[in-house]
Amino acid sequence: MSTLVDYFVGHQLHKSAGQPGRKKWLWLSICFNLGLLGFFKYYNFFVASMQNALTSIGFEVENTWTLNIILPVGISFYTFQTLSYAIDIYKGKLKPTNNFIAFAAFVSFFPQLVAGPIERASNLLPQFLSKRNFSYQNFSYGIKLMIWGFFLKLVVADRAAIYVNAVYGNIENHEGLSFVAATILFAFQIYGDFAGYSLIAIGTAKLFSFDLMANFNRPYFAASISEFWSRWHISLSTWFRDYLYIPLGGNRVKKPRWLFNLFITFLISGLWHGANWTFVVWGALNGIYLICEALFLKKKRKGILNVFVTFVLINFSWIFFRAESIGDAFYMIKTIVTNPGRLYVGSGDDIAASLYAALAIGILVLIEVKKEYFDTLFTISNNRFELVRMLGYAMILFLILYFGVFGKGQFIYFQF
Amino acid sequence: MIKFVIVFLLADIVLGSVAKQLFFSQKTGKYARTTHVVHDTKADIVVFGSSHAHRHYIPKVIDEELQSTCYNAGAEGQQLLYHTALLKMLVKRSTPKLIVLNIDENFLYTSKVAYDRLSDLHPYYDDYREELKPTLGLRSKLIDFKLFFKSYQANSTIMHVIRYYLSPQEDDHGYRPLFGKLNKNKIPKSKPEEVKEYQEFIDDNFVNALKDFIATSKSKQIKLVFVTSPTFYEVDNVTNKSFTMIREISKEEKVPLLNFFNHELFMNKPSLFHDYSHLNNDGALLFTKQVTNEIKKMKLLK
Repeated sequence: MSTLVDYFVGHQLHKSAGQPGRKKWLWLSICFNLGLLGFFKYYNFFVASMQNALTSIGFEVENTWTLNIILPVGISFYTFQTLSYAIDIYKGKLKPTNNFIAFAAFVSFFPQLVAGPIERASNLLPQFLSKRNFSYQNFSYGIKLMIWGFFLKLVVADRAAIYVNAVYGNIENHEGLSFVAATILFAFQIYGDFAGYSLIAIGTAKLFSFDLMANFNRPYFAASISEFWSRWHISLSTWFRDYLYIPLGGNRVKKPRWLFNLFITFLISGLWHGANWTFVVWGALNGIYLICEALFLKKKRKGILNVFVTFVLINFSWIFFRAESIGDAFYMIKTIVTNPGRLYVGSGDDIAASLYAALAIGILVLIEVKKEYFDTLFTISNNRFELVRMLGYAMILFLILYFGVFGKGQFIYFQF
Repeated sequence: MIKFVIVFLLADIVLGSVAKQLFFSQKTGKYARTTHVVHDTKADIVVFGSSHAHRHYIPKVIDEELQSTCYNAGAEGQQLLYHTALLKMLVKRSTPKLIVLNIDENFLYTSKVAYDRLSDLHPYYDDYREELKPTLGLRSKLIDFKLFFKSYQANSTIMHVIRYYLSPQEDDHGYRPLFGKLNKNKIPKSKPEEVKEYQEFIDDNFVNALKDFIATSKSKQIKLVFVTSPTFYEVDNVTNKSFTMIREISKEEKVPLLNFFNHELFMNKPSLFHDYSHLNNDGALLFTKQVTNEIKKMKLLK
């Protein structure tokens, strides 16, 4: 439906260029796409929230409005992708395509349909329209990206998830230190999970000679929150920048309005991540961080200390992202401060799982430190000796097979 | 590309073989005990089951009481799929006279972890493909492809190797005693809620595994007895579909079932229990003697 509507709207927008009233076509696209997203993703959430609000002020309301509906896979991602198509045509940045099959393929391109990167029509659509030839270099590069993506997912994320789930799923039986450890591990879990998926998607597309945009750029080396958001989920950050923050006026307005624009952008970004108040608070918190940076930090921040402070702040916000409820998140924060207690290590297999996670994160950090600070030194992926390159990737495959978690785990971002 | 595949396969063979060598070099720990059952034991009596088997049956007592040799193949957290596969590997090489299967009342209820923990059998796949494929195939249809890679066969085993090398986990013919008893001043009147690793639906694969366990024993003329271990609290299994079905199967297949649930010698005796579900060493001693007495009465070893 989204594909049909935006294909049609795209042509109507183009035909009515320069005419009064063409905005209605844009509003049709926005209302239809966000309406579908709102219905499937947020309807039950708002009904339940309204019921809770009424109950809390003394009105007992029987909830008969919630619907038993299944969230369509990837709706948050393809909704934004088709919206950007209509908006770009409206702004005159893009011409509509006459090839419906190519447009439908752009909306539902299988590698990135369910969890991004959220592509722009100006980048991806022309690739469907032009002839692509098999390229050994592309194929090889795609495989390399996929191998590293699988390492991030199966070894880093899924290993860390074992400890994270044990603690976050049972918070009443854990103490402050365990919450700190689980949150740090979650930082690597969500990075490994999402960056891993993105690399697998980009690599898969590369096999067919498609170029998708990069989605992560070693985000935990950011020295400020604003830098973090230029390195984390880049396709979403830039989408919100281009289609919400800048249309609201960006930073070319009076300061209070600028700060409001920052805050509202991140608040909505939080809500985009999920129909739960935890995500809203997480988005708001990041908005507050950015407002503080805008108000108090004038110079561009650099150095290890700033990287560390940023990492701590981001980890603090992850507590809200991962917690089951706002109450749980505040309980955990209070416990961290008032009752550090002992670190949960579990027994037997739990200890082994934590050690595997630590080992995997150690390997990831070493490789990312090398790429971030010493990129011109020794390289494996681009080594001039073919054998070194092959042995390097064979070793990563070995690590995946030897240390990976091969269950039926899902990618975290599939739920958004 | 072909060169890379060759390099990777060579790396997998070399590194995977080293990993498997390390795995099979273990002297103590759960994997060493499994390997002993598969490769070495020639015991007359072998005990199968989960942690209740592992912690409740003292082979030395069985040796003395029944004048036979015994090995305790109980494995913590493992369920029927695992035990059936383990039995099949054992009987390929050795034929015990008697097998004791310690029954947990929820053995037939579906459990994700029961499938997940089958990965403990991966290192044996190369040598016991025929025996293991029906069981491991339940977890993944691509099992042949996955276990083609030697490094995957030894997936996640290195920490155990290091752990038990640094700190050996001694056992007595597979038995590891639990020490300490329940504090009688801190015992709740009713049984505390436990974390359930199962959902209360009968899993057909588990039913088939139990039937296969019986059939495998019968095909080798091995005597088989089912035993349930005592628990501290009284249990009411009348509405337990899993246990009801186990009893029906044992009756149909004419496998004796020694039911120690709610046994007066054990129930509500804090001095015999390490926790509400597991006997301590004193309890295990008393329980093992009770079991051997019953086996003597049934003349299963004659």
